[in-house]
Amino acid sequence: MTFSLLHATDFADRLLYKIIPPLKAGMIVLADRYAYTAFTRDVTRGVDRQWVRELYSFAVKPDLTLYFRVPIDVSVDRLLARRVKLKFYEAGMDLGWSTNPVESFRLFQGKVLEEYDRIVDEYALNVVDAIGSITQQQRVVRDLVAKHVEAVDTMREIPSEQSA
Amino acid sequence: MSNQPDFPHGLVGEEGAIQPGRYYGRGIPYLPINGYPGKLIAIEGTDGVGRSTQIQLLREWLEVKGYGVVETGWTRSPLMQPTIELAKSSNTLNKLTFVLLYATDFADRLEKEIIPALKAGFVVLTDRYIFTALARAGVRGVDRAWLRALYGFGIAPHLVFYLKIDVETLIGRVLDSRGMDFWESGMDLKHGDDIYDSFRAYQNKLLREYSSMADEFHFRVVDARRSVVHIQDELRRQVGAFLEP
Repeated sequence: MTFSLLHATDFADRLLYKIIPPLKAGMIVLADRYAYTAFTRDVTRGVDRQWVRELYSFAVKPDLTLYFRVPIDVSVDRLLARRVKLKFYEAGMDLGWSTNPVESFRLFQGKVLEEYDRIVDEYALNVVDAIGSITQQQRVVRDLVAKHVEAVDTMREIPSEQSA
Repeated sequence: MSNQPDFPHGLVGEEGAIQPGRYYGRGIPYLPINGYPGKLIAIEGTDGVGRSTQIQLLREWLEVKGYGVVETGWTRSPLMQPTIELAKSSNTLNKLTFVLLYATDFADRLEKEIIPALKAGFVVLTDRYIFTALARAGVRGVDRAWLRALYGFGIAPHLVFYLKIDVETLIGRVLDSRGMDFWESGMDLKHGDDIYDSFRAYQNKLLREYSSMADEFHFRVVDARRSVVHIQDELRRQVGAFLEP
């Protein structure tokens, strides 16, 4: 619970200082992780699904959400290729499921991925296949974002023409 | 998210009734608490109303009678107390982070102090409870339905004593002891530079919030304008009747 609430506090702080002001100014805000991280990670830690959703009901609903999906094996391989040590909480070591960090990571993040699959439909996340190369992924991302930003641009032009 | 208008799992549970010793709402799934032998007694009331004196006396009396007693109080968690003090001393807190820091402190004490003590059969005396958080946030305009859903992980106390006082008596007592402080005077609400006026306005609003919760949360209202001994007698009578009917 405290894990969940501390992250919510941090999120509320960033929402009010870093996200809402630029949105009001008409800027594009890129958020690396959002409330959905809490919906998957906190629930895997045993927090009530509905409660955490209600907790984050003060959040702004993103205009576009991209979910980069990889199988757990790919995720483990990538992390181990770059880093020697997995982070304690990232590996869910606090849950005591395994004393082996890699095994714990596999179990914990595996459950997290199951929760993500659950929310893809619930929150209309756009799934990006993250197995492919960075270039391939970036192409998909640019297409999705471009469609969205262009749609917003058209919407914005209408009132200015009317007022002119 | 912001497009979900309703909070179906607020403090008044699915059955629509508060059950003492049970979670108000969704609860903590990994900590089932049914059938614990301990009792949770909350002493509520605004700043300077005399809560800590009453709790100290009540504790002594209960211990002499042979009860194991555990005390807990708002913002006293080892995890959060330094953070809350630090955040209050800076100017970056807003009403949302304020609420969430308090909720984190409460969650820590609930998991680490209150639930284990109830499990072990202690009488838990809590100096303030979630009602203080609801009142303070309510005064600051935080959505009431959201607050109740947030605190759905709280446990409904077996008894809630609300030490009720009027603002005139309160002002006298506070000035007589330690004086008015920034947060207790609601200076963050920027009612004005005058701490006396701000204290009066803020405490008036707080008292109204507490009163509005009295029925909802089954407060036992105790007139806190009377002497320490009078108040203690009433508390002992009611606690005694509950523990040894």
